[in-house]
Amino acid sequence: MAHTSFYPPSGIYSDSYRKDMRIVKTKTQWLMSVVFLILLFTIPQIPFFNSPYFLRLLIGAGITVIICLGLNILTGYCGQLNIGQSAFVMVGAFTSGLLNSYLGWSFWTCVIPAGLASAVVGAIFGIPSVRLKGLYLALTTLGAQIILTWIALFYIPLTAAGFNVDPIRIGSLVFNTPSKFYYIAMLFTVIMTFFAKNMMRSGPGRAFIAIRDNDIAAEAMGIDIFRYKLFAFIVCTFYAGVAGSLFVHYMMWAHLESFTLHDSIWYVVMIIVGGLGSIEGTIFGVIFIIGLKELIFVIGPMAEGKLPFLPIGAGSGLLLVIIGGVAILFLIFEPRGLAHRWNLFKAYYRLWPFGY
Amino acid sequence: MEFFGKIVAAGLMNGAIYGLVAVGFVLIYKSSSVLNFSQGYMLLLGAYIFWSFRAALRLDLLLSLLLTLPTAFLMGIMIERLTLRPLIGQSLLSMISVTIFLSLVLEGVVSLFWGTYPLQQVTIFPKGSLKFGKTILTAESLFAFGLALVVMMALILFFRYTRLGLAMRGVAEGHQIVQSMGISVKRILTVCWGIAGVAATLGGILLGGTLGFQLGLSHIGLLAIPAAFIGGLESPEGAILGGLMIGLIESIVSGYLGKAAGVPATYIVLIVVMLFKPYGFFGLERIERV
Repeated sequence: MAHTSFYPPSGIYSDSYRKDMRIVKTKTQWLMSVVFLILLFTIPQIPFFNSPYFLRLLIGAGITVIICLGLNILTGYCGQLNIGQSAFVMVGAFTSGLLNSYLGWSFWTCVIPAGLASAVVGAIFGIPSVRLKGLYLALTTLGAQIILTWIALFYIPLTAAGFNVDPIRIGSLVFNTPSKFYYIAMLFTVIMTFFAKNMMRSGPGRAFIAIRDNDIAAEAMGIDIFRYKLFAFIVCTFYAGVAGSLFVHYMMWAHLESFTLHDSIWYVVMIIVGGLGSIEGTIFGVIFIIGLKELIFVIGPMAEGKLPFLPIGAGSGLLLVIIGGVAILFLIFEPRGLAHRWNLFKAYYRLWPFGY
Repeated sequence: MEFFGKIVAAGLMNGAIYGLVAVGFVLIYKSSSVLNFSQGYMLLLGAYIFWSFRAALRLDLLLSLLLTLPTAFLMGIMIERLTLRPLIGQSLLSMISVTIFLSLVLEGVVSLFWGTYPLQQVTIFPKGSLKFGKTILTAESLFAFGLALVVMMALILFFRYTRLGLAMRGVAEGHQIVQSMGISVKRILTVCWGIAGVAATLGGILLGGTLGFQLGLSHIGLLAIPAAFIGGLESPEGAILGGLMIGLIESIVSGYLGKAAGVPATYIVLIVVMLFKPYGFFGLERIERV
């Protein structure tokens, strides 16, 4: 059952390369995708699910999915570790926010520049490390996290205090409440997910995988390692920048507190729990960790109240221990993440009742 | 000039401690090519364990040190056993990520048991000060400096002249060869993590004595990483020099440009060194054959 994800349902034959590369292979999958998309975009209309709390969670999850997709392209597909992703989100957020509050650019004109600004900063930090073998990108991205936060703190006077950003508009429609912004967040999440899924079956995507699996062999096959590693990092930071731009227009302000080293590590946790090198896995991981976090936010204060011998701040400690512990357990016991479980489940469903 | 002398002295004092922590970092990198991002949090936990013996249980200074160091060794071994050992054979990426997540867990453990507020101050070293011309050195920092240097020297001699040290250097060269010569790689890795835990804990105690026992101690881990890299990730001697360099840079920059600039400056230096001297000043250049 090693590579069950590669077995299509019975009766589906890929007799040409084009057919084998399709994202959606069967009629059932088409139907399910359409139903899922319709459900996704009608959630704010469904009673019981449309509470602002739940919608805010979903919007946060959507933005985080975009951030983690970029990270998974870099870490999961290209095999480079990035522990400064939230700093690049910050670059996107502040670029977008400053363009909006100083020059009055609308969201639609500054989302791409925000992504590009992140990508340029990412390239600057990436160049020294991607030419080295091994995981030196982890070191430079840690440096990026520290250096960029410091630059933002001292050399962009507005950002330290936070600043006001206009909400997103289309004509006279203003997306300023969770139930309205939800559509924008989900639109971007779906587009970026599709883009990532599509990229991974293109030439660059296959080059990333080749570099991850064996860089010497990849080089021998004519893949320019330096260029593709840097390209993967640029794509990763571009995703971060777009997510940052969305974030700043959703919150309508930005503060350094939202972009810490802890956040960067959380993104890595999410993609590892979800499954490295899997686009669906990224989504599962984000939902799993965000759900877990909400659960601990409920349990933590209760534990602190019930157990008086715990010191002040034990709740936050509990959160860190559980999240870090879950990530370590996944690495040890299920390194392929939730995505692999999902594939096992699909295989079980397809083979049932003859699953042997 | 007076100010300059003062910050240079302070930088060297701290640098020795960064070097000590960086030696632990180098040790783990050499034996298993894992960048141990949790070094700073091992330091934090070790320092807090010491604090519990010294301040909470009110034990004698020497006794609490004697109790802390084996505990720290055990902490290192436990970390290796529980998290790194099951990952043998997995990709390097998962090994490095596990150390990153370990830092979350260790920080969580510390705030779960000791809370997030700074702990009560503990004096470790005798008070007093020495004057060199116009620069005044406190006895505290001199003791810390001396102790850090002594421990580092001991570690280097250990690598060079003992059987175990030799075996460790062998493991750094290649696991299979050493294994075929009858040396247990697993045992060596365990001991390496133990020693790294002790080195980190000693650094934590020395720094805790001067800076106070607080969660911010883990930032030293952030400084030990550039120190280890600039010296060359494979060389303990390089780690010491790197530590002193990083200490100087941090102290001078934060003296003239404000406190917050210190750590970012060391990372800017790290990236510049990476551009021009990708294997650090004392590191081995890897020549790869297919």
